[in-house]
Amino acid sequence: MKAGRYFILPWLLAAAAAVATESRENWSGPQIMQEVHARQHLYPYIYEEQSIVLVDRNGFRDTRTARRYSRIEADGSIQLLLVFETPIPVKGVALLARRDATGMVTSQLYLPALGQQLIASDPGDHGSGFMGTDFSVESLTGELLSEYLYVRSDDLELENQAYFSVDVYRAGDNPAKTRPLRRHFIRQDNLFITRSDHFDARGEVVRRQRSYDLKVVDGSMWHANLMLMDDYREQHQTLIKVDRRIFSRDYVPTEMFSGAWLFEHFQAQPAGDAEPPEDAASANNGDQNL
Amino acid sequence: MITQFLLLGIRHPRLVSIILAIITLLAAAGLPGLTVDTGFDSLIPASDPARQVYQRVMSEFGSDNKTIIYIRDPKLWTPAQLARLETLHRGMEGLRDVTRIDSLFTLHTVDSSNGKVNAKPLLRAAPKTLEEAIAARDSAMRNPLYLGNFFSNDGNVMAMVVSAMNVDEDPEFNRRLYTSLEGLLEKNRSHFEQMVQVGPPRITVELKDALFEDFILLGPLSALILVTAIVLFLRSWMAAVIPIVTAGVTIVWTFGLLAWLEIPINILSAMLPSLIIVIGSTEDTHMVAAFFRGLTDDHPDARGKAISYMARHLGIPVVLTVLTTVLGFGSNLFTDIGLIQQFAFASTFAMFANGLITMLLVPMLLSWFGPEQREEMEASTASGMPDHIMSVFRHYQTHHPRATLTITALMCAFFLHQASTLYVTNDPLSYFPEDRPLIQDTKQIHKDLAGIKVFFIALDAGAENAFQRPDNVAKLAEIQTFMQKQGVFDRSISLADHLAYVNREFHGGYEHLALPKTRQLIAQYLMFFQRGDLDSYVSHDYSRANIVVRHNISDSHTLNGYIRELEDVVLSIAGPDMKVNIVGENLMVNNAAETLMVGQVKSLFTLLAMIFLIMSAMFTSFKGGAIALIPAIIPIAMMFGIMGVLDIPLNPGTAMVAVIAIGIAVDGTIHLLARYNEKCRRTSDYQAAVNEAVEEEAPPLIVSSLALALGFGILLFSNFTVVAQFGALAAATMLFSIFANLLITPIVMSRVRLVGLYQILGMKVDQAVLEESPLFRDMTEYQRRKAILISELNEFPAGDLLVEQDTVGRSMYLILSGQVEVIRRDGDQARVLATLHPGQVFGEIGYIREMQRTADVRALSAVSALRFDYTRMQKDLKFFPNIVAKLNFNISYILGERLAEMVGKKS
Repeated sequence: MKAGRYFILPWLLAAAAAVATESRENWSGPQIMQEVHARQHLYPYIYEEQSIVLVDRNGFRDTRTARRYSRIEADGSIQLLLVFETPIPVKGVALLARRDATGMVTSQLYLPALGQQLIASDPGDHGSGFMGTDFSVESLTGELLSEYLYVRSDDLELENQAYFSVDVYRAGDNPAKTRPLRRHFIRQDNLFITRSDHFDARGEVVRRQRSYDLKVVDGSMWHANLMLMDDYREQHQTLIKVDRRIFSRDYVPTEMFSGAWLFEHFQAQPAGDAEPPEDAASANNGDQNL
Repeated sequence: MITQFLLLGIRHPRLVSIILAIITLLAAAGLPGLTVDTGFDSLIPASDPARQVYQRVMSEFGSDNKTIIYIRDPKLWTPAQLARLETLHRGMEGLRDVTRIDSLFTLHTVDSSNGKVNAKPLLRAAPKTLEEAIAARDSAMRNPLYLGNFFSNDGNVMAMVVSAMNVDEDPEFNRRLYTSLEGLLEKNRSHFEQMVQVGPPRITVELKDALFEDFILLGPLSALILVTAIVLFLRSWMAAVIPIVTAGVTIVWTFGLLAWLEIPINILSAMLPSLIIVIGSTEDTHMVAAFFRGLTDDHPDARGKAISYMARHLGIPVVLTVLTTVLGFGSNLFTDIGLIQQFAFASTFAMFANGLITMLLVPMLLSWFGPEQREEMEASTASGMPDHIMSVFRHYQTHHPRATLTITALMCAFFLHQASTLYVTNDPLSYFPEDRPLIQDTKQIHKDLAGIKVFFIALDAGAENAFQRPDNVAKLAEIQTFMQKQGVFDRSISLADHLAYVNREFHGGYEHLALPKTRQLIAQYLMFFQRGDLDSYVSHDYSRANIVVRHNISDSHTLNGYIRELEDVVLSIAGPDMKVNIVGENLMVNNAAETLMVGQVKSLFTLLAMIFLIMSAMFTSFKGGAIALIPAIIPIAMMFGIMGVLDIPLNPGTAMVAVIAIGIAVDGTIHLLARYNEKCRRTSDYQAAVNEAVEEEAPPLIVSSLALALGFGILLFSNFTVVAQFGALAAATMLFSIFANLLITPIVMSRVRLVGLYQILGMKVDQAVLEESPLFRDMTEYQRRKAILISELNEFPAGDLLVEQDTVGRSMYLILSGQVEVIRRDGDQARVLATLHPGQVFGEIGYIREMQRTADVRALSAVSALRFDYTRMQKDLKFFPNIVAKLNFNISYILGERLAEMVGKKS
């Protein structure tokens, strides 16, 4: 069944593209972003196993592994949980974020070593990296279209691919008088944002997010298996590599987006400076619930 | 030979001129390639093992070479001012050499002030409202890591720290960076109460600019002062112009050589032109003075005679004085500090070249342009300052010699006691005077934030993640606690501070700064830092940690003492399994101060020993060597004492004064001893010989010493404190050397009889006469020559009566040339007893026993005879016991022979 679906997928996409081609030339910025959003959120339940590689200005790399759970509820709210698996001392450290239907984002942190408590955390804006990475919480939950103003800019061709480019302003800003916060480069063939340039107040690119290894996962929905964020100012990079992705409600039950679930599965480790034993770690990794 | 060398310019003027011109042109051709080095690297010993460790730590934890942009304004935290600062920040980011800027716009903080933990940049961009600005200020002030480092306690001061890298090793790197930063600051200065940059680029640029100013100012000023002094004291334009000419050629040679050898000039070599002009002038002055003395009005070739006189009398002393001056400067070569080594090389060569040029050029110039009358100098100096000085000195020498010596000894003891308080410093900032804006700005930063000097305490645990262990993090905190107890360092920051701060924020921001207690908690807290936040404090794999310490100590001795104490404690806290390095460029520079002191002490004693040995050899007496040290040791004792009294530290400038001053001061002594020795050849009254020698040598000695003092005094106008202190102390030492040379040395000298080795070796005598003379029986040639030199040389015209019968005389004569006859008068009858020839002796009975002469001795032709006076020989017995004993033995032998002859005749 699944194989058959994937077989017809290219045909469906080609047909959709043919239908859309006529009017694309006239799409506005918000229309493009609507289309983009619609395609990325076709399936609301995602479980990912990620490797997060932090590269510093000297080229040293730190690799962390994490599990990412997200689900879009019927009311449009989004729940997200990112739990770190390795290195062992940070196992269980979690970021719990929720964007409600109104677009309000809240986030909480769980540090097992601090005991069973969730710590309220400011999710920050699009430029604030979370937990030492260069990605923001917003980049995980996605942009809320109503909070921004999208202005289509000139189309362009990058590496033999036709691209839309859309400048993003804060809602209420006057594009004629202010500089854009960022610019999305959207592939015209699959409406996927493969590159976002983040600008400072002077219009200089300070960070650049790129997506690679794009895979069509369902119908016109595409996902990138590799995301790279370059911070040009701080001169470091963060690479998120998706090692495994599953679209299944079963993998992301509602109850796991809570402190209780975290406290139960990632308990505070005893005081001391010894590495937790491997077996203890695996016994405490919550796998049985996935 | 030396005399011949001095006359080379007279005998072969064209050849000498061409050679000098070629060398000068060659040297001048190199001048455009001259480079300047004002970096701190030359202040650190090349062999310092800390260099490598320093480089390693720097490459891991970032350079300690940072420029601080200091901004003060009461309305700092307003949108308008912060917008200007953001523009400044972005502008600096765009500069070619800037690698990193730590400022309000790049610093991250973990803040729990609004009830939520928020890891964020302090300010990503300038705020739009005052509330946002104030919130940013509160967040900044809340972070103890930044308070005192980036923000003052009152919130009115902010620092931006600019790191830059000279990737291409471009020599213009510092100037380019300083100028670029200055351009950006200038645009904003009017909007802020104060906005300055302080850091290595500014210090280097200011050093370089000040060095050029010194170059332009000091040389010509020295020349002007020298000319004025010489014209004033000697009333001779010739005496004033000649040193300027020789100095000019020397300067071209010296800097040309430096350029060809790619040796850069530094802040010390900037004073070289002054030194060459001033020190180089002394020999010129002595030579011109001797030339004037040698002038004879009635001679058709007055100049030629005067130059020959000058060459004969000054050849050896000039060589000796050049040698001692070269030794003085050369003794600095043994230091390990590049700054001094480069200066020592340049100055040693300069002094050598100046000696050579002077010896070749001065006789030539005098032969072309010298006066032909002698009145100039004598008339001008007769009633001048030197005479006034000498009249005072003579009074004490004559009437209170012992008291003078005693008081001098007590004075030296007092000054040496004062010298015990001396301290040493090698801090580059101490090179500048206190009132210079750079120093004022540095002090301001120290007052509002922390000192701009940085060093690192690097700990290497040798195991990955070691510094995620609570016990190791606690060690960092323990070290910092000890530093707080020391109370001398302004600020220290380590990983422990970061963790304690985050721990506080995760506990609601109310608890005191305590360290997290578990390895897991540490690792989990560390996730909230951006990678750049910890770059300076911990290695990527957490095996090495670094404590960054800021301070403002400029006294090397104090700093080194505290660092040694700190090192002991850090080693003990770190334990045997951890490697510890305390490094920093300023530490190496300050540590070099100790090397500097040890090196200078070694140089000083080496030089004293060399002067003692050279002078002992030259005057064939250890007493001669000891006397030569008097005018060296007394001024040095006084100089060190004054440094102690006036709280002047030993630094790369002042540390050199002693050896250089000795080298110069001893020049006067050499001239004095040489002249005294010459006088002793013609009189047995040593006190009279001393007086005459002093009288003749005092004017050039006083004039040259005063000119030297004035010339060194010019260095007080230098932009550098070290150079000004060097100048002031060297000037004072020159004045002290007048006192030592003309008051103390003569008192001691009159009690000593010296014979110059050069006289012994250079003496022209008929060897056959000496070998056959019974007086020199069984004596080596050296002993014979020395015996001749401790006698008195007398010349008698034909017919002159050398010994008169029936008079009492205690002199014995040895005929060197000519003939005498011995005549016995009995009543009206006279009988020639004998005719004596060269090598024969007469008057020996009167010498042995005080009795009337038994015959006349009359010169049959012009006679040259050595007179051996009994009283003088008795005196000399203590100075030259072997020679005098041998002579006495031979006199006994001669008398014995005579007795045997008489007995034989009778029988």
